[in-house]
Amino acid sequence: MKRHMLKNAAARVAALLLGGALAFSGAAIGADSTAAVGVKVPANQRFVLPNGLTIVLVPRKDVPLIAFSGFIRGGVLADPADKPGVSSLVAGLLDRGAGKRNAFEFADAVAGVGGSFNATAGSESISVNGQFLARDRALMIELLADALMRPRFDAQEFSSYRDRDIEFIKSAKDSDPSQIVGIYGRAALFGSHPYGRPQGGSERTLAAITHGDVVSFHAGNFGADRATLVFAGDLDPKWMKQALTAAFGGWGKAKAPAVALKPAPRVTGRRVVLVDSPGSVQTYFWLGNVGVDRRYSGRPALDLVNTLYGGRFTSILNTELRIKSGLSYGASSRFTRGTVPGEFAIRSFTQTENTAKALDLTLETLEKLKHDALAPDMLESARSYVLGQFPLQLETAAHWAVTLADLELYGLPKDYIEGYGPALARVDLAETAAVTADAFPRPADLVIVLVGDAAKIREAAAKYGPVTEMKISDPDFAPAKLP
Amino acid sequence: MPNSFVVPALCACVLFFSASSSAATKPTAPVRVPGLDQVQATTLANGMKVIVWTDRDIPNVALYNWVRVGSRNEVPGITGLAHFFEHMMFNGTARRTPGEFDRIMEARGGSNNAFTSENVTVYQDWIPRTALDLVFDLESDRLANLSFDPKVVESERGVVYSERRLSVEDNNAGFLVEQVQATAFVAHPYQFPTVGWPADIQGWKIEDLQKFFKTNYAPNNCTLIMVGDLSAEEGFALAKKYLEPIPRQEPPPPVRTVEPEQLGEKRVFVQREASTPLLYYAYKSPAANDPQGPAINLLMSVLTEGDASRLHRLLVEEKRLAIEVDGSFQEGFDPGLSWVQLTLPEGANVAEVEKVLDAALDQVVAQGVTDAELARAKNLYAAAFWKQIATINGKALLLGSFDVFEGDYRKLFDSPAAYDKVTREDLQKAAALVLQKNHRTVGVLEAKP
Repeated sequence: MKRHMLKNAAARVAALLLGGALAFSGAAIGADSTAAVGVKVPANQRFVLPNGLTIVLVPRKDVPLIAFSGFIRGGVLADPADKPGVSSLVAGLLDRGAGKRNAFEFADAVAGVGGSFNATAGSESISVNGQFLARDRALMIELLADALMRPRFDAQEFSSYRDRDIEFIKSAKDSDPSQIVGIYGRAALFGSHPYGRPQGGSERTLAAITHGDVVSFHAGNFGADRATLVFAGDLDPKWMKQALTAAFGGWGKAKAPAVALKPAPRVTGRRVVLVDSPGSVQTYFWLGNVGVDRRYSGRPALDLVNTLYGGRFTSILNTELRIKSGLSYGASSRFTRGTVPGEFAIRSFTQTENTAKALDLTLETLEKLKHDALAPDMLESARSYVLGQFPLQLETAAHWAVTLADLELYGLPKDYIEGYGPALARVDLAETAAVTADAFPRPADLVIVLVGDAAKIREAAAKYGPVTEMKISDPDFAPAKLP
Repeated sequence: MPNSFVVPALCACVLFFSASSSAATKPTAPVRVPGLDQVQATTLANGMKVIVWTDRDIPNVALYNWVRVGSRNEVPGITGLAHFFEHMMFNGTARRTPGEFDRIMEARGGSNNAFTSENVTVYQDWIPRTALDLVFDLESDRLANLSFDPKVVESERGVVYSERRLSVEDNNAGFLVEQVQATAFVAHPYQFPTVGWPADIQGWKIEDLQKFFKTNYAPNNCTLIMVGDLSAEEGFALAKKYLEPIPRQEPPPPVRTVEPEQLGEKRVFVQREASTPLLYYAYKSPAANDPQGPAINLLMSVLTEGDASRLHRLLVEEKRLAIEVDGSFQEGFDPGLSWVQLTLPEGANVAEVEKVLDAALDQVVAQGVTDAELARAKNLYAAAFWKQIATINGKALLLGSFDVFEGDYRKLFDSPAAYDKVTREDLQKAAALVLQKNHRTVGVLEAKP
């Protein structure tokens, strides 16, 4: 595969895609990269129930499905500081017995009609996503209301689910080092700040979490005033409004005070965390610093610069580490932007013996980005690329459900979507220079995480800053003591 | 249009969702799969088949070139070449330097990817519709004028080896799949890992690439799919202009080897750095176009799809012997494998898990599945189908997959109805056919002592 391998190489058709309805109204058809300039948020109804629950309905008739995407504010942010993982267990247990159904009955009710239901904990919220055939709308609402308002949190289910989560972390360490390096990265960068907590917990914190922790998290943080639900697809708004009001009208408010997030400071200087994975034949590396938040005014310019730096196949990073040198299968960078600044992170991997070579090359690209002016034709190329790919992210009703829920979570206006194309069209070199100086870290200011065979890369690691070492088998994602 | 045919819009394809057996499932009015009247196909003079599905929801087009070549077409010494070749298709032609393909496409708003399996290599472009002409120029150029720069061959070798380290050597699940697959087949090339054995990745030569290109990348060995904001006339005209001039070639030789019948269980045991042991069963199974295909897929769904599936309930929830259960029917041109894959908790007694798993599978063969299980599997299939045809990407995957593996893209529109016809008796027959101990390979991965 050019970019990433299927789990079983022979899977005849890749993973099924999210589905839904048509996404564009009034899109400019036929203009090259200006197409995305015409993206309109589809007509929708938004209302707030007396108990504070926000509901958004987006009728889009295409395939006979209704997608939902919602959230309950809190998430990892509301976890007890010493027990990250509680919100993740709460999310995972919502559908393992709720209302009149036990865990099996709930799973069977969802799958029995070809539906889906997923809840996961993120930094600032627990999100719920799913899709049902339109004919099963009443069942969908019943199940959703049961899961959010009446989860059973059966003690047996709790302990079995928690124990399994611990094993999943071990399994990921066995088979997915490129996916877990980011958890170590955020822990090293943010430390005790909520963004540094492992979202699914660690082997140690999960083992310490009790049934009572889960019950009290739900009692404190779940409530209509913290929740938003977006439905998109083959739906009748009038029927939905009535059914949703009946199902959720009795939901009370959350009892615990909402937790506020404070921004984490940017890191100055360098430090290195070396995670020893004996026998590993590649080093998986992550370099990061604190970046920008959701409301960052330079967003369009930043998206263009990051596209050029590490956001597409021909990016500077991928060109140097893959295309020109063959050191890696891939290299990329991204900004994670929350209510407060999340991380800017570079990720790649290389054969153990080439660790220093690949890291040097990575730092050189960042140095060049910070110092060299952007070529005008590169700006145009990035602009066309982002505009040209934008519609593909807003093709289906499920895409719109997720997108509108995201706007609600961060309190963003619909202009965040509709104004994006025109704003991209206006970005000039002065703006790209400004965001490059402001949002991208200097190569001298980075937290670096290396997951690899420490015996072979310990010496190389020391070149990049003071090293703190830990083992991949350690039950936490951060060394016991950070410098 | 000589040498070509256009498929006329057929009568509405009507299908019914299974209605009766699941308590939560109500009978519904018949639902028509939309789209057949928006699909047209033609065959160019050089034998390349072109299929267009017009879908104007977004101003984009998904353009997929399905080439009928994969690791199935390899021999010892050049394993992994089909996949390596996929990488080299982005690395320069007589007209364009290495990397220009991607630079030009991205600068015009397009992105691309590709994947290789045992059976096919698929090139995927996602573009704004106004880049169509450009993309045809790029695609026809690499089919007609591909060239191999020795320096690029060397650096791309490093890229592919890194991909192998990521997905096999530093990945216990990938490692065990490779070992089981290599053990399951004694003769057929399905034994080769698609990414290639290390020595072959390091050893293949430019001459191998040149020969592979000439043999397999004939236009008459390709099916081009376009889905999105274009008309069939537009797509056909572009294909005629850019791709028809590429001369037809001798088609690649058929894969002659037929895997002899397996006469007893095989086992492969791997010890590596590991916390969570793995237990994989791979059963010899029919080819993709076998009439029992839908029944086998539904059987695997009953056994392993989701938290309500039979093996998940038994092994993960009730007995807590596994932390995850996966399964799939790996469909290809030739008879292949159906997988049941278990991830076990640290310290698990693998032999004990095997006994419980075997008893559960024996029970399916002996007693079949319940009405509710079958209804659930059918509904999961129907919902997945609708989700997939909601995007231009999903439509392109489905069209290509049905046309290449089943011989006719129109079967896609009949597929929900074909699945709906499957009975409990069909599933029991499929279980008896597939779940035979003598036809399986068992793979176990445990921690090094």
